[in-house]
Amino acid sequence: MTPPFDLTDAPGGRLKVLCSLALIATCASGQWLNYPAPGILRLPDGRANLAAPAPKAANGKPDLSGVWTINYRPYNENIARDLKPGEILPWAEALTKQRQENLGKDDPSSVHCLPFGPRINFATDAHPLKIVQTPTLIVILGQDLTYRQIFLDGRDLPADPNPDFMGYSVGHWEGDTLVVTTAGYNDRTWLDYVGHPHTGSLRTIERFHREDFGHLEISETFDDPKAYARTWDVKVTGDLMPDSDLLEYVCNENEKDSAHMVGKASDIKAVDVPPEVLAKYAGVYSGTTRLGRPIRFEIFLSGRELWSSRDGAKQLLTPVSTTKFATPGGAQFEFIGENEQIVDLQLYNLAGDARLPRVREER
Amino acid sequence: MGKSCQGGSLKLICGVALFASCAAGQWLNYPAPGIPRLPDGKPNLSAPVPRTPDGKPDLSGLWTNDADPLGQRPVERKPGDIVLTPQGKALQRPRENYFPGARCLPNILYLAVAPFKIFVSRGTVVMLYEHDTTFRQIFIDGRQLPKDPNPTFMGYSVGKWDGDTLEVDTSGFNDDELILPGPHSDALHIIERFRRRDFGHLEIQATINDPKIYAKPWTITVNSHLVPDTELLEYICNENEKDLKHMVESK
Repeated sequence: MTPPFDLTDAPGGRLKVLCSLALIATCASGQWLNYPAPGILRLPDGRANLAAPAPKAANGKPDLSGVWTINYRPYNENIARDLKPGEILPWAEALTKQRQENLGKDDPSSVHCLPFGPRINFATDAHPLKIVQTPTLIVILGQDLTYRQIFLDGRDLPADPNPDFMGYSVGHWEGDTLVVTTAGYNDRTWLDYVGHPHTGSLRTIERFHREDFGHLEISETFDDPKAYARTWDVKVTGDLMPDSDLLEYVCNENEKDSAHMVGKASDIKAVDVPPEVLAKYAGVYSGTTRLGRPIRFEIFLSGRELWSSRDGAKQLLTPVSTTKFATPGGAQFEFIGENEQIVDLQLYNLAGDARLPRVREER
Repeated sequence: MGKSCQGGSLKLICGVALFASCAAGQWLNYPAPGIPRLPDGKPNLSAPVPRTPDGKPDLSGLWTNDADPLGQRPVERKPGDIVLTPQGKALQRPRENYFPGARCLPNILYLAVAPFKIFVSRGTVVMLYEHDTTFRQIFIDGRQLPKDPNPTFMGYSVGKWDGDTLEVDTSGFNDDELILPGPHSDALHIIERFRRRDFGHLEIQATINDPKIYAKPWTITVNSHLVPDTELLEYICNENEKDLKHMVESK
């Protein structure tokens, strides 16, 4: 339930997800995951034609059914990355900082194995989800074996919902877009890995538009006036996984992490590294994670501080030696030199290490 | 299940208590469309079996069991129905601490986990359980069981119609968890036969076949009834879980 390489999330969660993703990697060639499903338009070579038109259900509405994965997940780690300072209410900001200081060990979902709640929605989920559609009910199935029901039979949201993890969802069609409003969440889950909270007043509005056979545009509006000063939208794209299906991810299976999660972010003691040394590390480092996803970091100097930026998300790098740096989430960056030139950035992270070559890129 | 179900039943009671306290909530009393009604507006539970466009019985609905066959109420079985092999006998032991329900792991006690909702879409029957907000899929698109399944808690299910009965074959279970009131191995197959008798009644027959553990297959039958105009609630085993450390093995 985490990006395969994520530098600020909960170590326990990362460890578990690592197992789960490793399972996907090792099982992808398993014959039962390669079942040519009927009803998929195919290219002459038998592969699914992902650019074919979006299919329609018998009632003429777009059919969103399928197993979908989000390959680019800028919000999984930090749902509030587009908010400006002050737009997160002070109590929520303070709580997020406290959760980061604890290095995510209080994460109710990825560490303590409770349901992910709103975090399993496409905008923040890291695992494939399966949409099963009927005219009056859409169900979204997750690899963690939980599900969401979305009622399309015309009912309204309950006036006084029973607060629960997954919320209560009703949907309707606006042209070819499915609009799903969810309320009735309890306040026990986090919205993302860094620990942004929500209250029981949270309401999410998701808009699903199947652009073509292989692509599902999803936007989600977050509305929680008790925690955030304004509503905001995030957008992601789902990629169809044809001829495959969900695997099982059972957080509670052999759970042994949480007892070992000790320490605080503030335990990291900085050493003094001269700015001229830090300046040598500035540049772009790019490669792939252990699981083959592209990853790119820009390292830059701001005053006397070294920072990293990935997809626009910036993190302070605290020097723990002249070559090693710690992130606020507890991951480690090491700059590796050869012939007095910095050639590689080595990342150490519970989700798997990665070595990223320095690339010559115009900034 | 007897003693080995203590933790599970305790949690189940909480779930039921939640249900009881919320049953009056307005959102649980939504008159669903498509249900045949008596003149007084009550659902006509003895109306004919609804059918899908292809003419097959439509199993869709929210169902609960007339009795809890694997739980506290002992299911009626004839003596000698369940005969363990030597390997099965060796594996039989007090399993309080191994019962997956006690550790909040998925356990597909297929017939004991009620209420559940069945719906059908595009070659797949989906069963949604209130218990742990979990689900299983039954593929009825003609595919075979995988020859080398990825062992899972929920198994891999394929179904086909035998007249008006949906016959579902499930295998591919992992072998270290208890899903039955006795041991099982990775050779376990569960054959379920779902027959909707009328609008309000569903009969499920399950045959447990595990030649490594049982000398012969054995069968249990569960009768379920429709629960109209309401919805599943959430029951999360892991929420405030405090049972496990109190569960000690019986001598």
